[in-house]
Amino acid sequence: MAEPLIRMTNIKKSYGRVQALEDANFHVNEREIVGLLGDNGAGKSTLIKVLSGAVPLTSGDIFIRGKKVNLRSTSDAIAQGIETIYQDSALVTQLSIARNLFLGREPIKPPRFLNRMDQEAMNVVARDLLKQVGISKNIPPTTPIGSLSGGERQAVAIARAMHFDSDLIILDEPTNNLGVAETQGVLSFVRNARDSGHSCIFIAHNIHHVFQVVDRIVVMRRGKVVADDIDPKKTTVAEVERVITGMSDKEIRDAIVEGRPSRG
Amino acid sequence: MENRSLPQRLIARPEFGPFVLLIIEIAVFWSINRDFLSPQNISNTLAFTVELGLIALAMTLLMTSGEFDLSVGSLFGFSPVLMWTLFNSGLTSLEVGFLAALLVAAFIGLVNGWFVTQLKIPSFLVTLGMLLVVRGTALFVTDGFPQRTWSAEGSWLAEALVGDFFIGPFRIYMSLFWFIAAAAILGYVLTQSRTGNWIQAAGGNPNAARARGVNVNGVKIGLFILSSLMASLAGVISSLRTSAANPNSGTGYELEVIAMVVIGGTALTGGRGTIIGTVLGILILRVMRNGIVLIGVPGLAYNIFIGAIILGMMALHSWLERRHQAGT
Repeated sequence: MAEPLIRMTNIKKSYGRVQALEDANFHVNEREIVGLLGDNGAGKSTLIKVLSGAVPLTSGDIFIRGKKVNLRSTSDAIAQGIETIYQDSALVTQLSIARNLFLGREPIKPPRFLNRMDQEAMNVVARDLLKQVGISKNIPPTTPIGSLSGGERQAVAIARAMHFDSDLIILDEPTNNLGVAETQGVLSFVRNARDSGHSCIFIAHNIHHVFQVVDRIVVMRRGKVVADDIDPKKTTVAEVERVITGMSDKEIRDAIVEGRPSRG
Repeated sequence: MENRSLPQRLIARPEFGPFVLLIIEIAVFWSINRDFLSPQNISNTLAFTVELGLIALAMTLLMTSGEFDLSVGSLFGFSPVLMWTLFNSGLTSLEVGFLAALLVAAFIGLVNGWFVTQLKIPSFLVTLGMLLVVRGTALFVTDGFPQRTWSAEGSWLAEALVGDFFIGPFRIYMSLFWFIAAAAILGYVLTQSRTGNWIQAAGGNPNAARARGVNVNGVKIGLFILSSLMASLAGVISSLRTSAANPNSGTGYELEVIAMVVIGGTALTGGRGTIIGTVLGILILRVMRNGIVLIGVPGLAYNIFIGAIILGMMALHSWLERRHQAGT
């Protein structure tokens, strides 16, 4: 079997006495959208932070296409082709779409010592990318991010990851606070990213959104991966909820009636 | 958004409000006193305007990056005191004294930047502390007395910084050219260069900028150094022009400079800045100071007008920002 794009083995992460991740094993294949699910405190965010270089792991190994890597910072992760898109913190609202797309990697016009950005080239690429990611409206690339909707902002962030050939795009709650139409837009941007050859990790509390877009579902509970091969086409939302909570149907119903979770 | 007409786009620009205000100011003062636009009055107004303006230009970039510097007024007083003290004591030539003043200013900027970026202390507190340290040093070194300022005539430095000549009836100081050059260079840096993109990103969303590999701390430290250097240069220019080096000079300039920058349309919260707006802000405040005296309003009433202008401009900028966010 081919080596997966990302493989994380026996990942441990502790914050003082709190064990956030306990021997977590996780992988993402090429051109695959993986839905990462779990209750609050299950360890999803920590796993993603480790993979995006935001926090160091306590022990364990990370492999990219079979090669062991050491991700000490977000810059390291970006250099290795891993891009994380947080809902509100990925873009600078005051800057234009084009300037956000190229932030930190702006093309320079000759002579280089003048340090002058090639804004025309940036605008041309930005226009193409917006089309490629699936934004149907004609939005000029000089538009400030602040005047875009939440869904359009997600599209810009995804477009940026696609342009800079990120192999893996991690989307942390990309559909939070979005309306129905905007959510469908974001889901289509994610599909477009996969169709262009990128892999994605999709984290969302809304399981219905996950079901619509992912190829495989991974569930975490109490710092461990408890299921990593759920096919959304062969299961139901209720089944996945049972895996997430670790409770039977009856226990879930009782918890809802009593208003308190009875986790076993 | 792309369908807006040229007048609509002009009105939406942050510089439009300050530009209209400046025109109104000039028209009102000129209609009351025709001497307001006399060559002599214009020459006098410009001479000091550009000195304060140099500081405001650097402050624009610093504020765009989300920080500001309250120590510029004290450096404006301290740098010429240091230069003249070195020169008067025979330790250095005037030129070397000037270089030493610039080096010390750069170090002060570095310390400001280091405290803000490494110790995560707000720039308001760091530069307030530095204001007191620098002002206190200037007063301590001089016992509070102005320094002797031997005539700097014949010095190439004085000629280069404040040499004057006439264009028709207008007396022009070299400092005007330094100001124009600084405005052009910093305007270019902010709007055209990669560094300008990083400055705006550092002020708008530092976490996003860091995640893209932008050296946010390096950008901010560089701008603190620039701010100190410009304050130092402005102080030396002013000292050479007036043949005075008072340890108390520059008191209160920090707030006037910040007012110039925000009136021009630069956001106090960072992320958005405009050099053209700052130039307009500089002119608005200096024309106001000059004009109210010329039309006979007591100079002590100056702050009433400045306060009113700041409030009015903030209301206008806030309204434009809301329209901008709404995409109208």
